[in-house]
Amino acid sequence: MTKVLRQIALVSGKDLRIEARSRQTLGLVVVLGVLIVVVLGLGLGPQQVASGMAATAVLWVAYLFGGVLCFEKTMAVERHDGALAGLMLAPIDRGVIYAGKLISNLALMVALALVVTPVAVVMFGFDLSASPFGFAAIMAGGFVGFAAVGTLFAAAVSSTRLQGGLLAMVVFPLSLPLVIASTQMMARLFGEGEPLGSVGLTVLIAFDAVYLVVSWLVFELILEP
Amino acid sequence: MNTLKKKIWTAYWLATAAMFAAAVAMVFAWTPTEATMGTVQKVFYLHMPVAINTFLACMVTFIASIGYLWQRRQVWDDLAASSAKVAVLLCSIVLLTGMIWGHSAWGQWWTWSPRLTFSLVLWLLYVAYLVIRPSIESRQRRALVSSVYGVVAFLDVPLVYLSVKLMPDIHPSSIALAPEMKLTLLSCFVPVTMLAAGLIAARFHLQRAETLSMQEADDPSLDVIPVRPAGGLT
Repeated sequence: MTKVLRQIALVSGKDLRIEARSRQTLGLVVVLGVLIVVVLGLGLGPQQVASGMAATAVLWVAYLFGGVLCFEKTMAVERHDGALAGLMLAPIDRGVIYAGKLISNLALMVALALVVTPVAVVMFGFDLSASPFGFAAIMAGGFVGFAAVGTLFAAAVSSTRLQGGLLAMVVFPLSLPLVIASTQMMARLFGEGEPLGSVGLTVLIAFDAVYLVVSWLVFELILEP
Repeated sequence: MNTLKKKIWTAYWLATAAMFAAAVAMVFAWTPTEATMGTVQKVFYLHMPVAINTFLACMVTFIASIGYLWQRRQVWDDLAASSAKVAVLLCSIVLLTGMIWGHSAWGQWWTWSPRLTFSLVLWLLYVAYLVIRPSIESRQRRALVSSVYGVVAFLDVPLVYLSVKLMPDIHPSSIALAPEMKLTLLSCFVPVTMLAAGLIAARFHLQRAETLSMQEADDPSLDVIPVRPAGGLT
């Protein structure tokens, strides 16, 4: 067990080290996220912005676009110099590669969220004080499911042309239930002041479980150098 | 296609058309008009059977996708693509008939009610399936990516259902129908299912012919791709 965990840490550590040294992806997605928040804030105008509830939708738009870029970049790293073939030749399970990639993607998305969320909260006057942990839990549940599908399809799509539009095209419709569930839960939590029920969280955990298990099972079929 | 096959095919479509005509006659001449909604309620006899068949077509795509991942035979991919096309067509009809119903019942063409959202997300899921297919050039890669998508998209359907249940609802959850209405619904269900199955079969036939002609153009051995051993390239 510890061996597998160490292998996962090695795979994701490698990705994160590359990112820490090049800072290619994070710089791009953070600026993109802030731009999306600003554009939507300007587009919605002062009336809608004042309600505060638009913030969750705006945040999801920023996370979705930023996330797709993260998934693409972490997989594109393997496309250079035949790195993927080397990774596949390593004596590790394909599931380990999936888990490692998933963790690096999640780390990038959390970094994105740490910058973009405060920006949106301030610009939209979204009052998080009612339940900051509820907000974090809902977003964490959403991120895990989104990154699970995104990591799988980034690997599937990365060897084809037209990557950019294609990955978004594949991942967005599949992530819609996550967006619906989390925005509805946010509306209840912050709009109507209901406490975060176990039903809502169970739905999110069920999503994550389904996405993770299916992606993990299918991942080894689609990995090709 | 030999003559016998052609005859069976013609008979099938004639039977479907005849049953459609009979069902339409039943809907308008025999079934009582609903008290509150009036004539618009009759769109329901098309709406519900098509909705059920949409689901069945999605299931065919799901099963064919699993078949492809399991056996790597092109024939499964052709079946998955054909039924996905029919699923999108049927889902469009569900959305349109649903909007006609909604306009007369709630006075709006579109409301974000759970079931409308559910149908819309389902439609988007399978439209995306059709859109991503032509943008992948390699045939095996296309089959692989779309079969993975076909599996995940179908598993997504119950999740969409769960998530829309969190939204406020105005849709009828249980419907009380007069016995004549039930019989009419059943009589509409048969031709709609026959139409859906016939469309999938026709589309599959065409897709098969297309694939076979493409395969003859390049390598005939491409039909079966050996499954690589899992766990390494050794």
